[in-house]
Amino acid sequence: MMSLPFLLFACGLGAAWLRQRGAAMGFWVAGLVVLLVLFRIHMGDVLNIAL
Amino acid sequence: MPGDLSRLLNALGLIVIDTVLALAFVDQLWFRDLPCPLCILQRAGFTAAGFGLALNLVFGPRSSHYGVIVLGAAAGAAVAARQILDHIVPGSGSYGNDIFGLHLYTLAFIAFSLMIVGSGLMLLDDRQFARTEPWSSRMNVLPLSAFVMFFVLAVGNVISTVLICGGGFCPETPAGYLILNDNLSLTMLSEAF
Repeated sequence: MMSLPFLLFACGLGAAWLRQRGAAMGFWVAGLVVLLVLFRIHMGDVLNIAL
Repeated sequence: MPGDLSRLLNALGLIVIDTVLALAFVDQLWFRDLPCPLCILQRAGFTAAGFGLALNLVFGPRSSHYGVIVLGAAAGAAVAARQILDHIVPGSGSYGNDIFGLHLYTLAFIAFSLMIVGSGLMLLDDRQFARTEPWSSRMNVLPLSAFVMFFVLAVGNVISTVLICGGGFCPETPAGYLILNDNLSLTMLSEAF
């Protein structure tokens, strides 16, 4: 699951190399969305603060 | 700014990101400092931001590609800021090794901020956008090697993350390579029976 953003970015780079700009941008958007979703999941981790 | 200078600067920027991602691997493999989930997401942020530089090299500079850099760097900066806040309270410890007194997530936040500022500066000059044809047909050694290295590092991060976290979410403080440990446990289990 955590490797999914890298996988999507790598696919996007492959699409860019094949001159498929639309596909490359699509893979990038998907990768960024997955990154943000994963960040949202891990952002909720408990802070180590003693109040 | 002439188009060729813009292209050179984009190639140099991508080489800097390649270096950052490669140094992260050095820290992981040489110093055995396994990345936490937020650390992995910061690597993904560098990859997301570097993607815009790679697009500039392949298709020529466009404002949308700089937008890709800014958004990728903003996402990475948000993750780095979250990890800084995790350890900002005195006595709350830190994660991983430090370089010149700054931990990697602090350095990452500075790097993401510089990328956003750099993209803003690059966007100030419109002359680089005059050329419309793709440049990939005459990619020379520097942009080509920067692009290939970036692709290799992205694939390397896929493999590394799968080894550390398996197919699911990563442990908050990884103690080892989950897949290798699981396979080792399975091997020992099968040997026991």
